Amino acid sequence: MSIAIGAAIAVLTGIGAGIGIGLATAKATDAIARQPEAADKIQRSLLIGCALAEATAIYGLVIGIMIILFVK
Amino acid sequence: MDALRDELLGKLDNKIAFTIPVFGGIPVPESVVVTWGIMLFLVLLSIICTRRLKKVPGKAQLVAEMFVGFINKFTKNTLGEHWKPFAAYFGTIGLYIGCANLIGMFGITPPTKDLNVTAALAIMSAALIYGASFRYHGFKGGLHKFVEPMPLLAPINVMEVVIRPLSLCMRLFGNVLGSFIIMELIKLAMPAIVPMALSMYFDVFDGIIQTIVFVFLTALFTQEALE
Repeated sequence: MSIAIGAAIAVLTGIGAGIGIGLATAKATDAIARQPEAADKIQRSLLIGCALAEATAIYGLVIGIMIILFVK
Repeated sequence: MDALRDELLGKLDNKIAFTIPVFGGIPVPESVVVTWGIMLFLVLLSIICTRRLKKVPGKAQLVAEMFVGFINKFTKNTLGEHWKPFAAYFGTIGLYIGCANLIGMFGITPPTKDLNVTAALAIMSAALIYGASFRYHGFKGGLHKFVEPMPLLAPINVMEVVIRPLSLCMRLFGNVLGSFIIMELIKLAMPAIVPMALSMYFDVFDGIIQTIVFVFLTALFTQEALE
């Protein structure tokens, strides 16, 4: 029972990633709308930023899986 | 329900493919065997693309030249002056991780699902970054880089020696493991055509993005170490 609660709390890190990537994409679309010639560079920065932000959500997933698998 | 869970948990473990009967049996995990397969594939691809090089390239040579040109341009843009020794490493790592992530599409367990493989890749990148720093700045210059922006940041710079490769390793491992688990669950729940469409996102898109992120982050850290 406590294993399930622990794993559920671990996966809550997804909230941070969702909000962060949403904000970043909003600013990126603003920037592209303002200056379409720089669209390539902005897209590249957005991709890198999203992958880095996604990593924290993935850490939560890995901890959740490890809790389910390794906690007796 | 229990059978489902046991089956899923069985798939998460690293299976031993066979044992070399030398020195009391060396177990060879499945990820090593799949890596051998990827190595064979890449070596054959390279041999086919570089046979009989002509001044006016044929199709295979053209693809190889495009890829090498792209990697060289990327390395030159990111690293600046001393880009030549690093381009080969980035190209090789990109090809290996790309093939390793995409092989999940064909029903073979991806070798990057094994934590040992991603840890080895992260240790290689860490050795590259700090080796470059000490090689191009000398021993004292390399140590000086730890107090570079401000001496107050020295503990953080020392911690980053461990944290950066750890984050590279866990990012790749977590993404591949998560995609694998979701694809297994989908395959158990919905047979036939539907897994194919979702596999496009989870296997192909996610795998390619993780490859790009790994190579780009290693290049970025190397650029920081070289300046």
